[in-house]
Amino acid sequence: MAHDPKREDYERLSLRYALALDTSDPRGATQAFSTFGRRFAQDRDSLPQSDADRAFHLVALATEAIDYRLPFATDEQAETLIRRGREMLEEALSLDEHCFDAERMLSASRLRSVDERYQFLAERVDEVRDVCEEERDRACEALGGERAALGALLSLRPYWRWLASMAEDALICGRNHDAIAAAERLLESDPHDLSDARFTLAYALAKLEDEEGLERLARRYETISPLRAADDAWLILARCALAHKRCDFAGARAELRRLLDAYPGCAGSLIHQTELPDGEFARLRVQPYSEDELIIALSEGVVLLQEGNDRSGRGVFGMWVMREAAQMDPAAALEVARATNGEGKGRS
Amino acid sequence: MNLWEELIERCAQRRLQKIGPLSDQAYEELLLAVRENPTSFVDAEPEQALLVLARALDSYRASHRNDDLLDDDAFQEARNRRLAALRDECARARDIDPGCLDAELLEVLAADLDPDPLTERLIEIQHKFGLDGDDSTAAGPSAPKGDAWDDVTCRPYLRVRAAFARTCLDGSRFKMAAASALSVMDASPSDPLGARHTAMLAYARLEDEAGLDAVDARLGRHESAWSHLARTLLLYKLNRLTAARRSLRGFCQLCEGGSYALLRPTYVEIYLPDRPEAAPCSFEECLLAVREAEPIIADVPDFIGWCQSFDWVSADAQAFSEKNGLDW
Repeated sequence: MAHDPKREDYERLSLRYALALDTSDPRGATQAFSTFGRRFAQDRDSLPQSDADRAFHLVALATEAIDYRLPFATDEQAETLIRRGREMLEEALSLDEHCFDAERMLSASRLRSVDERYQFLAERVDEVRDVCEEERDRACEALGGERAALGALLSLRPYWRWLASMAEDALICGRNHDAIAAAERLLESDPHDLSDARFTLAYALAKLEDEEGLERLARRYETISPLRAADDAWLILARCALAHKRCDFAGARAELRRLLDAYPGCAGSLIHQTELPDGEFARLRVQPYSEDELIIALSEGVVLLQEGNDRSGRGVFGMWVMREAAQMDPAAALEVARATNGEGKGRS
Repeated sequence: MNLWEELIERCAQRRLQKIGPLSDQAYEELLLAVRENPTSFVDAEPEQALLVLARALDSYRASHRNDDLLDDDAFQEARNRRLAALRDECARARDIDPGCLDAELLEVLAADLDPDPLTERLIEIQHKFGLDGDDSTAAGPSAPKGDAWDDVTCRPYLRVRAAFARTCLDGSRFKMAAASALSVMDASPSDPLGARHTAMLAYARLEDEAGLDAVDARLGRHESAWSHLARTLLLYKLNRLTAARRSLRGFCQLCEGGSYALLRPTYVEIYLPDRPEAAPCSFEECLLAVREAEPIIADVPDFIGWCQSFDWVSADAQAFSEKNGLDW
């Protein structure tokens, strides 16, 4: 699962629309709803919406620009995308002072370090929870049945994303207990883990070399994510790192093979280990078990890969993963070497 | 490590085995005689091998004398040369006495390997010398009761395990680092090798306050550059920033040049085979502590920035550099 701002934008307006309809006339309501999709796509302003809905729409647009288009942009385009993204987020915040997504996303560029960002998120988190939970209670009271459930979800998600960012920032700052606390708090509020906070949790447990904690987490997958087994790149890489840390090189190799089985043909990514900026809105939405997902897991995994005092600067575990993956798939290693050489020549 | 001292003691003990029991006073006199001219007492192979090592370490240390005059490339070349020479002498010592653990250890350390290969080599050496598994102590298979350091033949074993603990720390194997360091302290509670420093840093990285406290208490809470630095890192990682700031102040005020060592990390040569001796809380100790903590500091990317956010840290460091004619 993952957060999908476009879909959330749609859900917000459809809920608002449903509420505005005259429920005493079911036929008229059905007819009116049949036009909703078209109006959402083509004539959004004609739909009933609050300032908070408008603000969220801007967040969705800003996310599209910053998280999904910026990584593929030229330098020139990048500047425009960043500026437009920031303007939209600022506008969102001026429309709705409780647009926590906009506030959180803006804080990343406003604050100088990840540590400051973490402190900011940690200081505000209780307030964010209170506001979001009040909103949820109001929604549940005003709505009934399924609508109440959707209303509750829409109210709480900004709080969940706040906690997910907190966990991720804590992990980057080297505050692993804090990362675990934030992720657990998120799982308590959202037991089905829309944010995939358990991935961050797996890394934090590996950082603390808490083997039992990691295995307990793997067992919890059944209830947290019944549709997704405990074989995602984060959990496998965390296990692999722990085996490597206890000098169980055969065990670590077996985990690496498991990773390549779950993400077939992806040895090149394991060798290359690209570092990407994290999604500002939330972890990027990609296909489960795709190469993109592995790339994101490895990028977040620099906390495990790049640790230690080895001379290559790639980290002790990172070097080991690179070497082993290259041995498991020599063709992929050649390909990476060729691409890297090409890059080098292009630059010089 | 003072290999000459150990060689003298070993020669005296070898002689003692030959001539039978001596009174304490007579043994003291024997020691004096050996000290007067150690080489004349070296007759058995283990001592011959140690003599080779003692001389090799002397010339290795002497070869550092002109380092300051060399540029980077020349320094690298000189360094490679003297490490190679040391390795050659270690091989010679092993030829004389295949059971010379110190030679094995020094040779693998002088190879200047990355943490992973070094870890594997040190595991092999421990295995070869019966030092692996939970059932053997860090002092070797025939460790006596009491503090193993008092038995000169146990010291090489303790050294290997202490070096292994430090290598684990460098290779981001923190639980293993702590466990190995603790095993050294179990075998030798007086801990002359300072395994406690490694343990404290490992517990700081693991955010294990109870673990750090226990190690600190075990040796009477003696202050050191490591204890201050480990505590600061731990509290920072636990996000108890007021306490972390107090601890940082302790490190900067109680350890000479601590702030300078932190803000201007200096190259520290690999330990051959032990951590060089330094007075508690001296500048030399700060340099060692910061070097050993390097992987942990790098893992808290905003830590140095946080330290620098306190004016007194930079002011302190700058004042220290001016007073001692160091680069700033």
